[in-house]
Amino acid sequence: VKLTIGFTQVQQILRERFCERRLPDRLEGVEAQYKHLLELLRRTAIHGESNSVLIVGPRGAGKTTLLQCVLRDLQKEEKVQKNLLQVHLNGLLQTDDRIALKEITRQLHLENVVGDKVFGSFAENLAFLLEALKKGNRSSSCPVLFVLDEFDLFAHHKNQTLLYNLFDVSQSAQAPIAVVGVTCRLDVLELLEKRVKSRFSHRQIHLLSSLNFTQYLERVWTQLSLPDSFPDKKFAQEWNAGVKTLCEDKSVEEVLQRHFNSSKDFRSLHMLLMLCLSRVSVAKPTIKPADLLEASRMCFADTTANMLHGLSILELCLVIAMKHLNDVYEGEPFNLQMVHNEFKKFLHRKSNSMYNFEQPVVMKAFEHLQQLELIRPVDGSSAKVQREYQLMRLTLDHSQIMEALQKYPQCPTDIKQWAMSAFG
Amino acid sequence: MECVHIDFIVCFWSSRNEKENWKVHFYSFAISVEGLSKIIINTGQDIFIEGCDEDNPYVAKVTRLYGDENGQQMKAVVQWFIRVSELPVNKLKLLGREPHPQEIFYYECRNCDNEVNVESILRPVKHLDSNDPFPDSADKDTLYVKLSWDSKVFRVVNSTVVESPAEPAPASSPPSSTPRGPSRRVLPTPDHAIMHKASLGEVGCSSVGTPANVEAESLHSATKLSASKCLSAKRRNATARTPGVRKRLELSSECLHKDFKMQPLCRTREQQGYIYISNTKSSEVENEKSPMVTETPRSSKRKSAMLVSSRIKKQLNLLENHQDPNSSGEEEDEFVPSKNDLLSSSEEEGQDEDGPNIDDQVSAKKFRYVATGSRNSRSKQKSYSSARTQRRTPAKKISPGTPQTPRHATPSIPIRSLQTQQPANILEEARARLHVSSVPESLPCREQEFQDIYSFVESKIVDNTGGCMYISGVPGTGKTATVHEVIRCLQHAADMDEIPSFHFIEINGMKMTDPHQAYVQILQKLTGQKATPDHAAVLLEKRFSNLAPRKETIVLLVDELDLLWTRKQNVMYNLFEWPARRHARLVVLTIANTMDLPERIMINRVASRLGLTRMSFQPYSFKQLQEIIMSRLNKLKAFEEDALQLVSRKVAALSGDARRCLDICRRATEICEHSAADPSSTGLVGMSHVMEALNEMFSSAYITAIRCASTQEQLFLRAVITEFRRLGLEEATFQQVFVQHQALCRIEGLKPIGVSEGLAVCQRLGACRLLLLEPSHLGVLQRIRLNVSQDDIFYALKAD
Repeated sequence: VKLTIGFTQVQQILRERFCERRLPDRLEGVEAQYKHLLELLRRTAIHGESNSVLIVGPRGAGKTTLLQCVLRDLQKEEKVQKNLLQVHLNGLLQTDDRIALKEITRQLHLENVVGDKVFGSFAENLAFLLEALKKGNRSSSCPVLFVLDEFDLFAHHKNQTLLYNLFDVSQSAQAPIAVVGVTCRLDVLELLEKRVKSRFSHRQIHLLSSLNFTQYLERVWTQLSLPDSFPDKKFAQEWNAGVKTLCEDKSVEEVLQRHFNSSKDFRSLHMLLMLCLSRVSVAKPTIKPADLLEASRMCFADTTANMLHGLSILELCLVIAMKHLNDVYEGEPFNLQMVHNEFKKFLHRKSNSMYNFEQPVVMKAFEHLQQLELIRPVDGSSAKVQREYQLMRLTLDHSQIMEALQKYPQCPTDIKQWAMSAFG
Repeated sequence: MECVHIDFIVCFWSSRNEKENWKVHFYSFAISVEGLSKIIINTGQDIFIEGCDEDNPYVAKVTRLYGDENGQQMKAVVQWFIRVSELPVNKLKLLGREPHPQEIFYYECRNCDNEVNVESILRPVKHLDSNDPFPDSADKDTLYVKLSWDSKVFRVVNSTVVESPAEPAPASSPPSSTPRGPSRRVLPTPDHAIMHKASLGEVGCSSVGTPANVEAESLHSATKLSASKCLSAKRRNATARTPGVRKRLELSSECLHKDFKMQPLCRTREQQGYIYISNTKSSEVENEKSPMVTETPRSSKRKSAMLVSSRIKKQLNLLENHQDPNSSGEEEDEFVPSKNDLLSSSEEEGQDEDGPNIDDQVSAKKFRYVATGSRNSRSKQKSYSSARTQRRTPAKKISPGTPQTPRHATPSIPIRSLQTQQPANILEEARARLHVSSVPESLPCREQEFQDIYSFVESKIVDNTGGCMYISGVPGTGKTATVHEVIRCLQHAADMDEIPSFHFIEINGMKMTDPHQAYVQILQKLTGQKATPDHAAVLLEKRFSNLAPRKETIVLLVDELDLLWTRKQNVMYNLFEWPARRHARLVVLTIANTMDLPERIMINRVASRLGLTRMSFQPYSFKQLQEIIMSRLNKLKAFEEDALQLVSRKVAALSGDARRCLDICRRATEICEHSAADPSSTGLVGMSHVMEALNEMFSSAYITAIRCASTQEQLFLRAVITEFRRLGLEEATFQQVFVQHQALCRIEGLKPIGVSEGLAVCQRLGACRLLLLEPSHLGVLQRIRLNVSQDDIFYALKAD
């Protein structure tokens, strides 16, 4: 029973960690950025200094985590606690300025909000918000923090009205605001209109991790190990020892090296570790290297190649015929007739009519391939063309076809040979 | 023949006394309104004068009435009173108490026109200038004078000033003479209440109304059939004519007709004839327009709209306790509309919003269509009270469809609970001063521009004329700041009585959602009214084209002009057209970034109206930037000389944007603060700090990003370049690049990756915009381009 409780707790703690539900207690590798952002926001909250800043970094680099950590730590401070209003916007949700303005007004609880509804037209809302911000001043108004997630999407709004106004407020003697944009686009400044750009303070916090493999391994280890605060000390010790042996394993190191080579971000690492964790149970109390290998195999599995396993022999033959056509014509598009011809050539050579199908059947198979998006019509070829003559391209790579053939259950040998032979 | 024209306003003089060098002076005259009343105006009487706000007409006292020889120009010389709503909002606090909604102030400003056309007079009114507290009664036709206002301070009004007008000669006689005047006696009175009121007006011009009078007045106003409203409505092209009025017209038209025949009092036939002609003209215009009415108002009994409006109503009832001191009681009772009103107004709204882009003249017409349309739909409106329809002027648009911001909602940000900390050390002090938002004591390096703009605006204000000026310059060169500085100085001069006072309005093309909102904002800042864009345009048009009384020069700053561009350019056209009007007294300063904006985007008639008064702000040179920082720091020793020079040289070379310069300096102080622990630091911002700040802000992150990318991502970039070289093109498909990538993996001794993984790597690079990609659903067929130069990639990859 005790073991079961222990495992439930392990699952809970680690899953929260891997799903990024719980903020880490301490950020690693981004101390400078953390300090910069914390100082900046603290000055807004305490001194009423308006600021604008962009957090830029690739996906999964921890931009939002950084911001959340800073906000969490800021809220702990007595002076800041009641002195900071927050508005959170996301470019994927607030797709235009009208929606964004309503959301801002709602989150600020301005006086034109009734319950959860914001009244007034777009123009009125804008005028109202600007008036509200204009009335404020540095020393008496409560500072407002605007967090714009997916900042680059806001730059696509008409005239960039929202950005202009936010940055304009941040550069004039109005209510103190801090605008924090979060984006993964490195060229985000080029998206800003010149007037908007001039009003932006040009502070950018880059989150580009330059961590090496040893640090990466350490991260894996800390991510998997249980904290000291774990109630069952003995269980935690055993678990942590198991994790240590796992990380020292040669094959595990190889797998992790491969992941590290592929991407350094922690979201993909968490994905991998999550897969490992889900294989742990009371019966199997530690993560074995084999689990990690299996999880890694799942992570790197080629999804399109896997789709080939479900094809019929006829469809597979058509795919092989397409591959040969691609070889011969160097990637030029083909149509059903060409493919069928190629296929017939193969049948003729083998002189067994085992796979001799009627034209409509072949057509059907061809259409199925199109539905699976293994082949795709060439852009611009109009629908007027008869289906047999519509030009297509194969969206598979040769390596994927060969790999799929190897794994295809009970693949006839002659078909395998046909696939491997050069030029049909 | 005459019956036809009875629909329209007729002014005639009821008596005259003397002829004085081609001016004819009169004691009084009468206005007759179709079907309603005859209003008699005497000298020394208080009157309402048609203004831009139909519900709050101007108040004045007639001091003299005259016309020129043939009676073509009939004028009245008046002494103005100013309403609470006409006062500048920021001056209201000088009053030191809540103004009564019906309070008016004796207006003592010299620079206002005190001559009005008699056609604009609506009806008589009376004021009380007792020192007693305001009575509680909501009588809308009694106004109270307690103080006088000379555009700077309130003073206790000198009662003799009010009692005896400046021109004693004509004013002294009327109170005694006019009640005997034949005009009133012979006139048939279709409406007793109004007639009674008119006589009250005559008597009460200089004396305090008796309680009985007040009662009668309030009774009258309760019916809301005020003659003036009707008159102004008539003038506005016979808008909502209700069945009731119509009927009365039919009944009384005959007697009115007779009445005209009976008017031989003092006028010659020709003079009467002239008036009729002028009215016939307008009637023709009216007739021309009415056949064009094609729209039938659509009835929008939207349930949701009603639901929402009822919800607002509920909310408003809640909010009633915190009343906005600025909004008059009248507005308040208007705002909570009954269901019927909501229905009818939504009808109007729907029509008005049909085409926001129509050009102004059209919109002006359309505005009439709405009015005539509502007349056509008389049957539909029968259910509403006639009083309501008359009262509802188009100025009041209550739209349940798009619920308005509750009027009581004051835009404000909550007050902070803790005090802001004051800057504790030199660096913090410097940082506060270097913030773009801090207002400097003076604007260095823009003296010439300042002088030019100042003299331009000043001359226009002094001459009471209007004009346009176009100011251009790249962002951050102090355009808006300079204009604000000019206005501040002019305001100061106006306060010191060196120049006439003026009204400054600022709009910004970026701060509105649609170019047509410009009208709404101008109108709102000018008068505090709210209106739809089309209606606002009509009102502004009227305001700027009429010889409106008591007008200050308006200085209008239009920032980000290019955003006001529309296809027909009517917004720009109007903005540049109004200053040219004779009575507009409007100075328009426009700001945009490009020097050749008039040539590039404006059509000829707009560019021509903008004129050639242009000014261009050059980007700051490094010396100027240095001076700006120095003046901001104001001898605060926080920077080393060299550091400042480096910043200003760097910024001047890049953009000449002062904002950038200040931001860099601010960042440098932060960096300096962080490195303060370093024993070698002097506490001043030095070269190294500035260099670091410059690097942070100007260096592109691409190279660091490539260096920090994972091995596979770096390999993929190399594969892209290799493939580009092979193809001789700057574009390749993923499939092609992937082949190269596989090869490179083998060379590097790494296990080749699968297609899915390769695509993931490619997508990651695309998300950072190191690569430009086609949509990802194309899979291996998507085409790839580089967003960085190949040299940068080589440089980044070679270094390690």
